[in-house]
Amino acid sequence: MTETAHILLVDDDPAEKLIIGNVLRKVQSVAIELAYCQTIEEALDYVQSGAPVSMILMDNRLQPQADFRETVPALRQKGYIGPVGVISSSLADPYFQAFEDYGADFRIDKAELDPTAVEFILREYGAR
Amino acid sequence: MSSLLIKERTSGDSELEKALNRVDFFRIFHTLALHFAFEHFGILQLGNEKDPGNLAGKLVLHDLPSGLAEEYDKRHRFTDSAVFKALHQTTIPSLWRAADQTPNQGNLLTQLGFDLLACVPVHGVNGARYAVVYLGDAEDLTTAALHELTFETISAFDHFYRRALISKAGMGLTPREREILRWISHGKTASEIALIVSVSEHTINSHTATILKKLDVVNRTQMVAKAIREQIIQ
Repeated sequence: MTETAHILLVDDDPAEKLIIGNVLRKVQSVAIELAYCQTIEEALDYVQSGAPVSMILMDNRLQPQADFRETVPALRQKGYIGPVGVISSSLADPYFQAFEDYGADFRIDKAELDPTAVEFILREYGAR
Repeated sequence: MSSLLIKERTSGDSELEKALNRVDFFRIFHTLALHFAFEHFGILQLGNEKDPGNLAGKLVLHDLPSGLAEEYDKRHRFTDSAVFKALHQTTIPSLWRAADQTPNQGNLLTQLGFDLLACVPVHGVNGARYAVVYLGDAEDLTTAALHELTFETISAFDHFYRRALISKAGMGLTPREREILRWISHGKTASEIALIVSVSEHTINSHTATILKKLDVVNRTQMVAKAIREQIIQ
């Protein structure tokens, strides 16, 4: 286990950090360092700080009102060109069909985010 | 037959019609595997039976544990396995149990460490052959479940093939692809273009690969030269 993936989770619910952190700990092929930001402002500061970020997992809705259509373009405007995945407990809303237009790379349901899916995504995007 | 058509329309309305990229299809096949009590899936590209090729090289999409196919290839030849040979003798979906196999049949299941394998041969609209295999440790799968899995697999693969696998040669460039082509012609690198158009570098590389295919060229220099010749860019 020589490679390390630096994943930044942006989610306004700190409980998600624990839940997703547990999922990531079960990934065996890659060592994962999880960073966590509760707001989009914190995340924008984080990516600009120069800290390594192999991939961003972005909760679709951040309180009070932003969804990925605002948050992902904001990350891109700050110069982040790594993969961004949008996580949501409901991918059914029609606007999710346009996720690529907003600079996101993939979308995944929170319930689908298991260790196998994380391994696939890291492999797919070479995010190490 | 009518029930199948209704089923197709129902599933088409939900996930399949909405799937856009490889992660979406990963999600669909992964969910399908779990729904039928398997643990993993793999989509294999089938060439000529006599063509050499290892398991890892034939997998076009899969959720096998990282490194499993590569480890298998170090020890065994996939083309010697009974599953591979059967794929070149018949197109009937099949179920394989570790307990049923003998070593001289090429015991793929034991070699990979699973108890049950379902194999569904599929093909693209142009006849290109693939197979979707599901692996797990369940004891068995009922005939009815295999029928259902087969239909769901054929439907999912058809969408995957048309959306993600088919060569797009001859089709026109999308506005986003034309934009990226223009920036390439201005000498920008993938990371610079990612910054300019506000997407990831991975997305730019993916678009660039599609443009190469569509224009039937082998590198960025030839791409720009052909695009100018074809008056796609000035």
